[in-house]
Amino acid sequence: MTENRSRSRRVLGVSLILVAIVLCFFTPFLWIVSNSFKPQLTIFADVTPLSWKTFLPVHPVLENYRTLFARTNILHALLNTAIVSAAQVALTLVLCSMAAYALTRIRFRGSKVVFALILLTFLLPVEAMLVPLYQVVSGLGLDNTLLGVMIPWIASPFGLFLLKQSFEELPRDLEDAARIDGAGHLRTFVSVILPNVKVPLLTLGLVTFLFSWNSFLWPLVIAQAPEIQLIQVAIAQQGSPTQLPNWGETFAGATVATLPLILLFLLLQKYFTQGMAMSGIKG
Amino acid sequence: MSATFEQTSSDMAGLAPDRRRRRRRDTATALAFLAPFLLLLLIFQYLPLAMMAKNSVLDYSLLNPHAAKFVGLRNFTDMLDYEDMRESLAATFLFALGVVVIVIPLGFALALFLNSKLRARGLVRTIIMLPVVTSAVVVATMWNFLLDPSNGLLNGVITALGLPRQPFLTSPDQALLMVSIMTAWQQVGFAAILFLGGLQGVPNELAEAARIDGATKRQVLWNITIPLLSRTTLFVVVIMTVFSLQAFAPAFLMTDGGPRDSTNLIVYHIYKTAFVMQNAGYASALSLVLLVIVLGISLLQMWILRARWNY
Repeated sequence: MTENRSRSRRVLGVSLILVAIVLCFFTPFLWIVSNSFKPQLTIFADVTPLSWKTFLPVHPVLENYRTLFARTNILHALLNTAIVSAAQVALTLVLCSMAAYALTRIRFRGSKVVFALILLTFLLPVEAMLVPLYQVVSGLGLDNTLLGVMIPWIASPFGLFLLKQSFEELPRDLEDAARIDGAGHLRTFVSVILPNVKVPLLTLGLVTFLFSWNSFLWPLVIAQAPEIQLIQVAIAQQGSPTQLPNWGETFAGATVATLPLILLFLLLQKYFTQGMAMSGIKG
Repeated sequence: MSATFEQTSSDMAGLAPDRRRRRRRDTATALAFLAPFLLLLLIFQYLPLAMMAKNSVLDYSLLNPHAAKFVGLRNFTDMLDYEDMRESLAATFLFALGVVVIVIPLGFALALFLNSKLRARGLVRTIIMLPVVTSAVVVATMWNFLLDPSNGLLNGVITALGLPRQPFLTSPDQALLMVSIMTAWQQVGFAAILFLGGLQGVPNELAEAARIDGATKRQVLWNITIPLLSRTTLFVVVIMTVFSLQAFAPAFLMTDGGPRDSTNLIVYHIYKTAFVMQNAGYASALSLVLLVIVLGISLLQMWILRARWNY
């Protein structure tokens, strides 16, 4: 009898925690998305008093999305961001895997110095480098170009560490066999090593995509021209509640900017979480 | 790693010519593989680093960087003379403290939840990771509207509970706290994932043995699990601190650093100084101070963790 009661109390406790977690972390998203399908006045009317209508569009309209795409450059910004993110992922994977190969699979003098040089940059706070980086990139004539947005981050120390770790775990026999067959380093790298590190490559690709898609401060200073604006900057310029007459349109923008990432996350959650956890494991 | 390195250099002298040639070829190959990475690293990490140091003793604007004037250490003495740096640093550290104080216990609790055998843990993990993958801009926008004094959701909830409306971001007493809460809300899932990694590394036998000896669940938690996770905890504290010290979007999008400079986070202050007020020399000096602080925290963490490693 008492055991039963303590069990049902436990179930109740766990359920309460679950409800609290959903309320705390999920309802803000629900509120934003459902309000993006409501006219402004309905949004305001539905907040007080609070009811289920606050979180569901009873008569959904597409007006906000229509004006968003018609009046702003958001579609263009989405396209720019997709290009930058895809290119950044591709180039990061190429550069980091090549460097990781050299540091783990080729014996050469000075490899420790090189590694220390890279390790040091891992500790540098990115946002503190803003001003001189702006001068370097604009000095190269790359301001207001999509290349300028991504090029400083391609040689990613995090990416190198992640790949270096997984390269080190591969057995030596793997490439010894290829060596005996007369394969050089380039062929060993492409046809022996790379096919065996698909998961780390995918993980790094996803984390890179996440950071690239979400980055804000750097695109804000280096890509100001409207035609090369990125999505986060475009969203940010839609303004605050007091400036902007239309909340629904801002919510529609936030939804459009977030949806691709959320979908990708839901699809490949395991690798995403792994990558995020890896970005922690360096101590 | 170090053993092989010493070994190879010590038998260099006795190498046959063709082996030496192979070694030279290997070095060339390695450099070819590394060249693109190292080139970009030099241009986009080391060059800016050197420029930051150089520019911190100049007086110039980004609109016309060639008309720079050497001013010695004046940018740094200005920092001590004016209030802006001290106030901005104080706000930033208070903000980081708020984030850490909220994130650590909640992230740990969520990790315990995720580490249990509950059926809902997959759902919980997905839900708490949603804010982590959402951009700082979208989160700030979302909270801007959640916190809106007249039509925001939070005041809707508060009035539904029969409590008085709150000013939130428009109040100098509440703005920084709200921004801390928002950032903690966004990062707590990340902290939980890191803690979960630590929890999964704790050997089960210890807890089981203690349970057999009659320890309660709470005693196991406080006397075994938490002390064993001190490395992870320090690590999460450092990550969250370093992350918070570099926060920008909240100040830019939600408060403009106000009210009354109460949320003038240091990176926002640097941004405004360099790109709005066009005082890039002073901004470089501010950046250098931030860099030293963050590097100091990271190195301190490495040093502490290393000391623990050797016991």
